[in-house]
Amino acid sequence: MPLRDELVIALAGQPNCGKSTIFNAVAGFKVNTGNFAGTTVSFTETTVYLGGRTVRLIDLPGTYSISSHDIAEKEARDYLLSGNVDVIINVLDASLLSRSLELTIQLIEMSIPMVMALNMYDEAQEKGTVIDLSMLKALTGVEAYPVIAVEGTGVRELFEASIRVAREPFWPVQPVYDRDVEECMAEIAERYPAALKDALDMDERFVIIRLLEMDEEFEQRVRETDPGFLRFVLEKRRALAEMHNWPEAGVFASHRHAVVVDLFEQVARVIHKTGRSLRERIDHFIINPAGGFAAIIGLLFFMFYASFKLGDAISGIIQAPLDGLGRIVTGTAGGLAAVAVSGLYDGFVAGVGIVLPYLLPLLILMAILEDSGLLPRIAFMVDGLLHRFGLHGKSAIPIILGYGCNVPAIMAARNMEYERDRVLTMLIVPFIACSARTVIILALAGKYLGAAVTTGIYAGNILVALAVSFVLSRLQADPSPGIIMDVPPLRRPYPGLVAKKVWWRLKEFLAFAWPVIVVSSLALAFISHAGIDRMINGLLAPVTTVLLNLPEATGITLFLGIFRKELTLLMLNQALGSGDVSAILTPDQILVLVVFTVLYIPCIATISTLWKEGGWKVAFYSIALNTAVALLVAGSLAHVLNLF
Amino acid sequence: MKVGETAVISTITGGKNLRLRLSGLGIRQGKRIRLVRAAPFRGPLLVEDVTSGARTMIGHGMAGSVEVCDHAPS
Repeated sequence: MPLRDELVIALAGQPNCGKSTIFNAVAGFKVNTGNFAGTTVSFTETTVYLGGRTVRLIDLPGTYSISSHDIAEKEARDYLLSGNVDVIINVLDASLLSRSLELTIQLIEMSIPMVMALNMYDEAQEKGTVIDLSMLKALTGVEAYPVIAVEGTGVRELFEASIRVAREPFWPVQPVYDRDVEECMAEIAERYPAALKDALDMDERFVIIRLLEMDEEFEQRVRETDPGFLRFVLEKRRALAEMHNWPEAGVFASHRHAVVVDLFEQVARVIHKTGRSLRERIDHFIINPAGGFAAIIGLLFFMFYASFKLGDAISGIIQAPLDGLGRIVTGTAGGLAAVAVSGLYDGFVAGVGIVLPYLLPLLILMAILEDSGLLPRIAFMVDGLLHRFGLHGKSAIPIILGYGCNVPAIMAARNMEYERDRVLTMLIVPFIACSARTVIILALAGKYLGAAVTTGIYAGNILVALAVSFVLSRLQADPSPGIIMDVPPLRRPYPGLVAKKVWWRLKEFLAFAWPVIVVSSLALAFISHAGIDRMINGLLAPVTTVLLNLPEATGITLFLGIFRKELTLLMLNQALGSGDVSAILTPDQILVLVVFTVLYIPCIATISTLWKEGGWKVAFYSIALNTAVALLVAGSLAHVLNLF
Repeated sequence: MKVGETAVISTITGGKNLRLRLSGLGIRQGKRIRLVRAAPFRGPLLVEDVTSGARTMIGHGMAGSVEVCDHAPS
């Protein structure tokens, strides 16, 4: 193989086996990780220098087999089939070795140089699985390395081996199937058309196996090149299925499974342990109907309550120094410069003084939630309930991720196999109060309206989202198909990884969101200096004053909220000309303002993600839907409250 | 199948895609599985592969296409 300057190494494996954790161990925290299948839904690449070589490292979404189902799995498959990969690092969950090997055998069939990473090796040992690594290498021709990715153990050896394998010729041991199967493949190989070799440029045996597995994409490509050959293959496939009395689609897979079982038995020994561990006891409690629901509701309540309490405390501590700073800077300039200074200062304070204190605790708690393995359990518990609202358990994961940020939550909907469920989930996620809106809820409702009203806002938010889903799903003819999902063991979140993840998300806020806030604040200072804000307020007056019973001055803040939801809160002080919102707005008005902000048009980042993931129709539909629902809910709330 | 019981999967009816998805998760003919729990409100069933300990949830309707035999209390 000619050595290019750059080596392409792709991490491939089944969902939740730790590909992204290995990726991050080498690349620094660049992709999100979590303990549930489908944390990674699109591929990420990074360039690293390893052993004197430039390596392009690719983190692929997990896939159970080469026969893909959902968008995320298809992305992994397409990348592997593209012919650009020099070495595959096949990541296996060593604690689930036999299932992981099913994909390994399929990757071996592709004949791309490969190394195996037996991740979660400690868990496998804890479970009583003893793996014979040299036997595994002897039987497959692929080197296998024990790895504990969360601790970084074994990662160096793994990558050294990958670079070495790229230089050496690679001879995997192709599995030998039943005589009937091998004869069938040999007959097909004899007739393998030369035109197909040119058209596909892939290992012949691999193509034949894909055809025997009823891979529609390969069937299509072969049909285009040589329809006669395809007819011959289909005939052989039917004969094979009949001979083994097995459905045509599964006959080859069943033989492969036999090979995997045989391989597993030769390389692994399982010593069963008795007694229930602490983690199994906790698990047992969580998936128990009564305990489970109490745990879920308690957990979410705790998450927001802790964010509020901690946020309030942090914000209290830093308030005095910030005020002091404010007195110093505002005294330094006069005229237009004073406008600029106060605008910049307000934006700066809004970032550190208001957003960060509430954002930080929420990010930490979300990171723990993702890493613990609780998300799939919540999906399990609420699936039945969500079905009544037209969603299903798998939508629970994007919805809960939505409490952090709607953007990755919408991406997470890629894990849903059916377009119907995916679009519906994408439309519901923007209703969920993301961290930016949580800052608004906590800083306004939490501060001025009390815990009961704040809890009510969260509960009401979920009810509105479910009601919208209920109505939308009734507009579609077919009911949602059921859920099939892996439930990984509960895992202890690693403080180091949680800290890195939180920092990674915080950096996004500091690098992208905060500058936007500062610039907007500056712009608002000049806009109000020039009187343009009154124009925007005037234009929005029918909505703010008539529909929502709010002061006209809130118009500009709601308009700015479209860019980033935090801006509504941050600009409120400036727009109202007072640091104490309760001095200007009545409690009823604060409630209406919060409810409206939580529900109306998703922020620009969310809209563009919706566009990218679902097309412009979904994006526009979402804007219209959110605005209509927000006007309806907040508008009726305002007028009902006015009656009392 | 009752909660806590184990049984062997005899056949999986239903389409090619359902079978593929289930086999990807290790749910296939001949496997001994344990019904760990059924979620409330006609939710999914939590099924454990007895040999590997891997757990999978399967929607209520889809679980209907998994036929089992050879029941045994666990």
